[in-house]
Amino acid sequence: MKNIADHLFDIFENSVNAAADEVIIRIAFSDNIFYCSISDNGIGIAGDEVLDPFVTSRTTRKVGLGLPLLKKAAEDTGGYLRIKRINQDGGTNLEFEMNMSHIDAKPFGDLPQTFTDIYFAWPEIDLKIYIINDCKKDKVLDFYEIREDERKGLSNSIKNRRKILSIMQEEMKKLNIE
Amino acid sequence: MKNLEELKIMRERVKKDLQLRAGKHRVKIVVGMGSCGIAAGARETMNEFLNLIEKSNKTDIIVTASGCFGFCAQEPMIHIYVEEKKPVTYRNVDTEAAQEIFNNHILNGKIVEKYLFSKGKE
Repeated sequence: MKNIADHLFDIFENSVNAAADEVIIRIAFSDNIFYCSISDNGIGIAGDEVLDPFVTSRTTRKVGLGLPLLKKAAEDTGGYLRIKRINQDGGTNLEFEMNMSHIDAKPFGDLPQTFTDIYFAWPEIDLKIYIINDCKKDKVLDFYEIREDERKGLSNSIKNRRKILSIMQEEMKKLNIE
Repeated sequence: MKNLEELKIMRERVKKDLQLRAGKHRVKIVVGMGSCGIAAGARETMNEFLNLIEKSNKTDIIVTASGCFGFCAQEPMIHIYVEEKKPVTYRNVDTEAAQEIFNNHILNGKIVEKYLFSKGKE
């Protein structure tokens, strides 16, 4: 994992594996602190053991490194990573904070690209992206709406790829993320 | 044709067939996107395929992702499902390999031995 964009894509896959069909990502960046929260409506986690690299539900290999790696990357900069079950029925919320001015901070990487990758990689997931800025929360992207245009024939996947990319590039620029 | 009821049933059946065909693709590319794949550059691989599809103006090819295939040292790995043919798995697919596989295998049906991992297994 070279950058935060890779990490984000990687932990997004956890939500997919947890049978989620709706994921909400909230992003904030101010005073060099990058905050990101990811909530899904999947089956939920049992406890903290997901942060142990030698615990995994997967059968193809015996270690699970996605979350522990991100936790390490966050803590290396003096930040944190927390993960919790949302309620009894399931759902998982994960949030992490990184100090991007820290010498050990990983670069952002291409975040807008990550979102188009998610759009193509998992067509069954409805992702909503919110940007938090000055205590205001704005929804900037809703994959359900974008796919609806595709279903109605108003747009196609190539046009939508460009659309997602340009919206997110704009938003990241506003936040001074590069 | 006997009555209105039968006609309605027939209409439903044809409608379903039509939907099936519309949602069908000739080629499906599945990119392994576990932590191992991503760390090895699977996102670049996927984007290369998306770019190649766009450039070739083909509409019957789709790209999706799956989790870890279980051979992390050989990531990025991809499966290629061509309609009515057995699936083919490739290993170490970087952007260069993606171009070769796209031009030879997907467009012309020739398997690229250099990156071949297995044939005919799910």
